[in-house]
Amino acid sequence: MIEGLVFIFIFQSLGELFSHFIFSLIPGPVIGLVFLLIFLFIRGNVPASIDWVGSSILQHLGLLFIPATVGVVLYLPLLQTHAWGIALALLVSTIATVAVTSLVLKFMASADGEQNHHD
Amino acid sequence: MTNALPPMTEIWVYLSGSPLLALVLTLSAYLLGLSVYEKSQRHPLANPVLIAVIVVAVSITVLNMPYAKYFEGAQFVHFLLGTATVALAIPIYKGFESLRSRMGVLLLALIAGGVTSIAAAVGVAKLMRVDEALVRGLWAKSVTAPIAMGVAERIHASPTLTAIFAVSTGILGAVLGRFVLNACGIIPWWQRGFALGVASHGIGTSRAFSVHPQAGTYASLGMGLHGMVGAVLIPRAASFFYS
Repeated sequence: MIEGLVFIFIFQSLGELFSHFIFSLIPGPVIGLVFLLIFLFIRGNVPASIDWVGSSILQHLGLLFIPATVGVVLYLPLLQTHAWGIALALLVSTIATVAVTSLVLKFMASADGEQNHHD
Repeated sequence: MTNALPPMTEIWVYLSGSPLLALVLTLSAYLLGLSVYEKSQRHPLANPVLIAVIVVAVSITVLNMPYAKYFEGAQFVHFLLGTATVALAIPIYKGFESLRSRMGVLLLALIAGGVTSIAAAVGVAKLMRVDEALVRGLWAKSVTAPIAMGVAERIHASPTLTAIFAVSTGILGAVLGRFVLNACGIIPWWQRGFALGVASHGIGTSRAFSVHPQAGTYASLGMGLHGMVGAVLIPRAASFFYS
């Protein structure tokens, strides 16, 4: 467990360093993600310790959002004033995104004749 | 006997000075959310994050604890968001091997979906004359929250607002996704899963996993790819738009 955690922390640190000193346009953790991805491709499999720690963290991803999201208390008056606009924007955007993404897949896949092979 | 225990107020001062209170509050609110979610047969509206956020927000208001004070303790949980982002490489890697042949189609759908998400959210919000600070928070909301918050800082949006919108989007996608996909006549699990992952990231992905494993794999790929591509493209698109 500790081994996997140290591994992921090292990639996270590398990402942060890279983002801070070389390429600040992309957040450090995303660069860390890319580094880890490259490492996994070179290695050809996911070491069990990394897999275990990574899966455990991702399984409870929701927990990690809580501290930041509780910040809603700071924005309540502003959000209340614009509640309808925000609600409508989120609703329309979510429905449109699901629809557009899935329809592009559907038409591209049928153009490839891909809907015939099931897997 | 009464002298054996320090007065309640002293215990309180001690506890509220350490990160323990915020940590216990955050973790137990999450556990409560999880158990409600399980008891409701995983109903998407009984989202554990939503429940936990309401419980914590009400608690700190009742305890008269300023948000900054709460965050001082809860930052240890918050810190792991970056670690979780790095760990997203694992589902992307695992998915990639079996999805290689479809990569072109998936990337195209991802770009179309990502652009739609921003255009629709920002467009509707502007039409409804929503405050500019809130509109900026909408840009990154379809990207998974840890990445969305990093992107938010780069486009001068509030990471907090972005996180709130990201979580709301996730819940909306998990609740409504099924109906939209049925209305569009989408049948294959991989298409349903990927669309859900692109539109509503982590919460949509865990929903997809609970419906079908293949939908879940494609959803986590959709979420991971959207995070990577969004981190690169959203700050550029936003700076072009606001310059």
